[in-house]
Amino acid sequence: MLKFRRKRVCSFCQEGVVYIDFKDEKKLMKYLTEQGKIIPRHTSGTCAKHQRQLATAIKRARHLALIPFVADFTR
Amino acid sequence: MAIYETIFILDSLLPPKEIDAAIERFSSIITQNGGKVRKVDKWGKRRLAYEIQKKQYGFYGSIEFEGVGNIPKELESEYNFNDKVLRYLTYRYDKRKLKAMAMEEEEAVKSSAPATPAPEPAPAPAAEEPEKEKAPEAEVTTEEPKAEEAQAPETNNEEEKQGDE
Repeated sequence: MLKFRRKRVCSFCQEGVVYIDFKDEKKLMKYLTEQGKIIPRHTSGTCAKHQRQLATAIKRARHLALIPFVADFTR
Repeated sequence: MAIYETIFILDSLLPPKEIDAAIERFSSIITQNGGKVRKVDKWGKRRLAYEIQKKQYGFYGSIEFEGVGNIPKELESEYNFNDKVLRYLTYRYDKRKLKAMAMEEEEAVKSSAPATPAPEPAPAPAAEEPEKEKAPEAEVTTEEPKAEEAQAPETNNEEEKQGDE
């Protein structure tokens, strides 16, 4: 866990992302847990500015059924 | 006038004619209310991440338009009235999206102007440098004269190409 916490670099800032597109579901999937929850800032290291944008992007993508609200586990 | 984009999911079992008709109806609503359609995009049939109205697949389409605030409302009422629309999302481009668009346009202009002869000498070596740290000096020294030289022939090439077109 310590190792995870030390790496706190915002990947969006590094790449110089201006706008997080909600149509790109593959990129968004990186910021979701297996269940489909949004990964918190302290785990992913995303900065506040981009996390806010990311959250709206994920919510829009969920509404359009691009990414799941809850991952369905077939039991 | 703000720029909006509306995305809708139609029933994928509809025949292609009806899908085109639906898209035309939506764009006619935009134009009737004083809007201007900028771009119509069909994403095609896609698998939905979760079932909507017991359906696994949906046909995605999007319309980018310019207009005032009453258009999204009109579209919404149409979407609600139309049974074939599974989902829709209309949103206004925020400042970040607009900025990203402006940057893309700039890049497009840049990439189209110098064209193919020297595909942007600066960014390519910059990306290579961290990977190949062994001979960065050699690259740097060779780049600078190239860049200077490249500028002159570039302009010539442009003229030639314009003439060709």
